[in-house]
Amino acid sequence: MDNQSIFKYSWETFPKKWVHKKERSEHGNRSDTNTDYPFQLLCFLKLHTYTRVQVSIDICGVDHPSRKRRFEVVHNLLSTRYNSRIRVQTSADEVTRISPVVSPFPSAGRSEREVWDMSGVSSINHPDLRRISTDHGFEGHPLRKDLPLSGYVEVRYDDPEKRVVSEPIEMTQEFRYFDSASPWEQRSDG
Amino acid sequence: MFLRRFARPLLAKVKETTGIVGLDVIPNAREVLISLYTKTLKEIRAVPEDEGYRKAVECFTRHRLNVCQEEEDWEKIEKRIGCGQVEELIEEAKDELKLISLMIEWDPWGVPEGFECEVIENDAPIPKHIPQHRPGPLPEEFYKTLEAVTSRPKLEKATAPSEELKPKE
Repeated sequence: MDNQSIFKYSWETFPKKWVHKKERSEHGNRSDTNTDYPFQLLCFLKLHTYTRVQVSIDICGVDHPSRKRRFEVVHNLLSTRYNSRIRVQTSADEVTRISPVVSPFPSAGRSEREVWDMSGVSSINHPDLRRISTDHGFEGHPLRKDLPLSGYVEVRYDDPEKRVVSEPIEMTQEFRYFDSASPWEQRSDG
Repeated sequence: MFLRRFARPLLAKVKETTGIVGLDVIPNAREVLISLYTKTLKEIRAVPEDEGYRKAVECFTRHRLNVCQEEEDWEKIEKRIGCGQVEELIEEAKDELKLISLMIEWDPWGVPEGFECEVIENDAPIPKHIPQHRPGPLPEEFYKTLEAVTSRPKLEKATAPSEELKPKE
């Protein structure tokens, strides 16, 4: 039951101020913390002898619009020495800035940029915070739940102007009529 | 080739390479380890007593220090501690020292009032077709440390705590 003992060990040795929820499961141990502490918790995990997590796999931002602190920033970590994974989650809202974890994990630089770009959770003193996945001049954060699936602007190449222009979206909707009662393609009446 | 075959017993004690890129062989590894562990034991005293962190660090540092002092040969040290090569152990000890100084700076000790930690035990099994990379066997020192950390010597005097627990200073 190695997962169990790793979980118990982390429960005992983490300072109690830092965690406020832990989950032990076969799908991956998880520990939740408050906004001030993810950097410290990650440094602890990286340096401590019995939890040598030296690899940061990914950082994601999840949007739960029903909550007050709507975003959840999830750090996925891997320990190559003990072959174990752990997730550290923090909650943040639109204006909270979290601390960057680039100094213990340099590979997190791009993931942090992506979190900023996609969900709008920025970091204090981040060495390099730019957009990474969206188009230049794109406004908005795509992975938020309030941005519609097709976005707000449409991009096309304009021949007279000889460049790409963005215009407000006018995707033709009349053929998009989904009637799930029948599997065959339906045409709307007008 | 014959020279190596005859000279091998003489060369057995000298480590040629760690096999890890960027990690050089340290010839006097044992001395370095002993000095690092004694330094760690000194530094950890700044952490308040009763913290799981302090108990854990003291437990495994003491164990490793004992092993290093008993064994002369780096190979035997590696085998007994069971946690990788001596150069890796040196790195771990240095990181632990860094961590202790950082923890002292941040000072997160003590349990705040009204502390509630929700512990979710999710026993949903993983479907069988997904390959799992189970963690390998943890070094047995880990289990002893876990025991040392979880048993509470003040409250439970009846159940004998493990011998690794240090007496109260």
